[in-house]
Amino acid sequence: MAVEKIANRQLFFILFLARSTLKIAFLPVVTSADALQDAWISAILSFFGGALLVIAIGGLAVRFPNETMVQYSQKLLGKWPGKALSLLPLGAFLFMSSAELRIYAEALTTLFITETPLVFGIGTMGFAAALAVYAGIEPLGRAADLFFPIFLFTVFASLFIAVPQLQQHLDNLEPVLARGAGPVLRGTATPIAVISQFLVLAILVPELTEPKRALRTALNALAFTSFLLVLVTVATTAVLGPQVAARIAFPFLSLVRSLRIGEFLERIEVLAMFAWGLGHFIAQAVFLYCGAKGLSQVLGLKSYRILVGPMAVIWITLAVHGYSDFFQLKTIFQPGIAVPLAFGFVLVPNGILWLAYGIRALAGRLKPGAP
Amino acid sequence: MLERHAGPSYDLAVRRFKAGDKAPAALVRLDGLTEAKVVEEILRTLMVDSRLLKEPERAGQIAAVALEELLTASEVREADNISALFAGLAAGKAALLFNGYPKALLCDAKGFMTRAITEPDAEKTLRGPREGFVESLRINTSLIRRRIRIPQLWMESLTVGELTKTEVVFAYIKGLAREKLVREVRDRLRRIKIDSVLESGYVEDFIADTPYTVFPLTLRTERPDKVAAYLLQGRVAIFVDGTLQTLIVPVELSVLMQAPDDYYEPPPIGSLIRLLRYVSLLISLLLPGFYVAVINFHQELLPTTLLLRITASREGVPFPVIAEVLLLDALFEILREAGVRLPAAIGPAISIVGALILGDAAIRAGMVSPAVVIVIALTAIAGFTAPAFSLGISFRILRFTYTIMGAVFGLFGVQFIILLTVMHLCSLRSFGYPYLNPLAPLIWQDMKDNLVRTWWWGMRERPKLLGQREPQRIPPGQAPYEGKDPGEGEEEG
Repeated sequence: MAVEKIANRQLFFILFLARSTLKIAFLPVVTSADALQDAWISAILSFFGGALLVIAIGGLAVRFPNETMVQYSQKLLGKWPGKALSLLPLGAFLFMSSAELRIYAEALTTLFITETPLVFGIGTMGFAAALAVYAGIEPLGRAADLFFPIFLFTVFASLFIAVPQLQQHLDNLEPVLARGAGPVLRGTATPIAVISQFLVLAILVPELTEPKRALRTALNALAFTSFLLVLVTVATTAVLGPQVAARIAFPFLSLVRSLRIGEFLERIEVLAMFAWGLGHFIAQAVFLYCGAKGLSQVLGLKSYRILVGPMAVIWITLAVHGYSDFFQLKTIFQPGIAVPLAFGFVLVPNGILWLAYGIRALAGRLKPGAP
Repeated sequence: MLERHAGPSYDLAVRRFKAGDKAPAALVRLDGLTEAKVVEEILRTLMVDSRLLKEPERAGQIAAVALEELLTASEVREADNISALFAGLAAGKAALLFNGYPKALLCDAKGFMTRAITEPDAEKTLRGPREGFVESLRINTSLIRRRIRIPQLWMESLTVGELTKTEVVFAYIKGLAREKLVREVRDRLRRIKIDSVLESGYVEDFIADTPYTVFPLTLRTERPDKVAAYLLQGRVAIFVDGTLQTLIVPVELSVLMQAPDDYYEPPPIGSLIRLLRYVSLLISLLLPGFYVAVINFHQELLPTTLLLRITASREGVPFPVIAEVLLLDALFEILREAGVRLPAAIGPAISIVGALILGDAAIRAGMVSPAVVIVIALTAIAGFTAPAFSLGISFRILRFTYTIMGAVFGLFGVQFIILLTVMHLCSLRSFGYPYLNPLAPLIWQDMKDNLVRTWWWGMRERPKLLGQREPQRIPPGQAPYEGKDPGEGEEEG
């Protein structure tokens, strides 16, 4: 079978969709802390924190352009410690995707099909994503190509329609930094933690056509999503008011719900939800792919495809039963929980690997010719 | 001996004569496949002209002499066994047998009736040539040769079908089509082992990348201008003798959406027509599903007055909306299929009964609501805008799934099945080339001829995945007024 590759452009789209679907729907920058009207400043600041995180993940990945995290951690730490360590990020994929799947299904059932059981939303999306993963990363990249313009168009169209309302309510953004920098900085914590999604880089880099440029691609994606995030944050807080925006579950969807086109088109949030679904689907499938691919390498399997079915079942079950309700789910995104989680799942393994890499590099310099 | 093989076939005509005065010989042909004049010419050569030769020949020599000096037929071949002889006879050749000479001489005397070149029935255009392929391979390939007059247009021939011995030809432009693609086509055609090939569909089944799809992985066309255009992009055309449907590989979804008119009309018009087709295709796929989903689950999406209208029209309809939609959709499919089979003479009568009377009566009887009739009628008409008929069919099949998903799960059911469809399309390949190219994978430079098309002077490069052996199609700098002052020419006029 041919080697499956995705273009860097497709990676950009995948990262963009993965990050912005969660962010835009859930807007943790607004809802997770008390930054209120200054949330847009938090959004800008979170880019810089996020960039560091991405460099931590991607910087190491591009140093091993032909290997996934599972493979190079074995190289750096030895076979068994490496395998054990790489289980951590693999767990993170499972955890993140199940949380996201649950959020999507919650949005679906609370806003649109209120009488449908939650498991329907989770099940259909999970099933579709699993089939996509089974098809392979190449079709997935192509689907990202296809969905990206649709997604972007919908989001920008919604923002554009919101402009007249935005102008009326711009005073909602004042006063700037009234309560000092504290709340603003607290507001950056969760968004940065959520950038752990870029952990997919560690698995996807060897699949790229130009693995050396992966870091640049990732940073571009981060910058672009951050820009979009700032726009969405400004629009949401201004139109809905900072207090309301911080309290409700899905601020951006509520914003879109309040829009009208002309005199006869309203309730267009179903379109936003549709676009979100497209992006969400890509994100889910990529997480599942990374999980399955990584695990297959830990177990030494030839193909990851055999793992997709069982993993999807576990993942759907986790999404259904892992969280008792939406409010418990929301607590995960409180800075007090999200940050340690990100720390444990992302920073610790990457830190250890960087350390090992540094030591090996130094040792290598002392003993040239060592393997 | 010949009759032992051919049996009492009445059309096997044997003419015995003496060549060069004394050598006994026979001319064998299948009546109806040969031209009488050509046969007479051959006989005259051997019976009359050979007497002019000075030396009296022996039988073996007269055959050699005939081959080299006498026969004026444009193509003469030797056949040394009986099956080659029959293959020749079936291809419209006249076989000359000489007493004591071990081989038969096959002279080209082909002349059988073919249909005249007419306008293709299945693919009509307003603008552009009206020529269509016919059932004869030679005429079809000649139609291409007339359009592409370079020696680099290569046509390779092979025989497929144990019993039918059908000639299959694949054509490509040497140096433009990728060698890998040509090799792949050749390999896939050679692998075919089948007893009969009566239509290009037989071949298509064997060479498709995957059988598990409703989407067509080859383009079937009966328009020579279309074939020529795709050959010039670096694709390969497969001709099968006895059919007018020529196959083009590889194809993409966007290729199946292209009609010749797009390229002959000015770009703004061509682009709009093409966009319209994409929109209609989406309508034909999605509209019933959306309608059912919205009526069942998402009534808030409709403006209130429209909703009231629809609800009022549904008053007293005994079926749920999904049953209505499926019923009418099935009814339409029956009408369509009947329309294809009907003799032309009674076609209009049936369509009046079918479409007008049935539809009208169904509404008056209160069995279906007018809104559903509108939806299905629009859907049905929209489905026929697809230039490739095979693509229209695949979307119609999918539409039923969409309708059912919309009825059961609402808009998110529709979204679910859209995701599955897109993933399926993304994973499809035609001869190894991605099916959704250039949309996915996204190739910006090929966007010039995808959803819309740009001016011809703007299509400077051939499609990236296919024609990049000779990337440049049109030299730059040919846009009107490019590099010149626009006012210059006007002053003189």
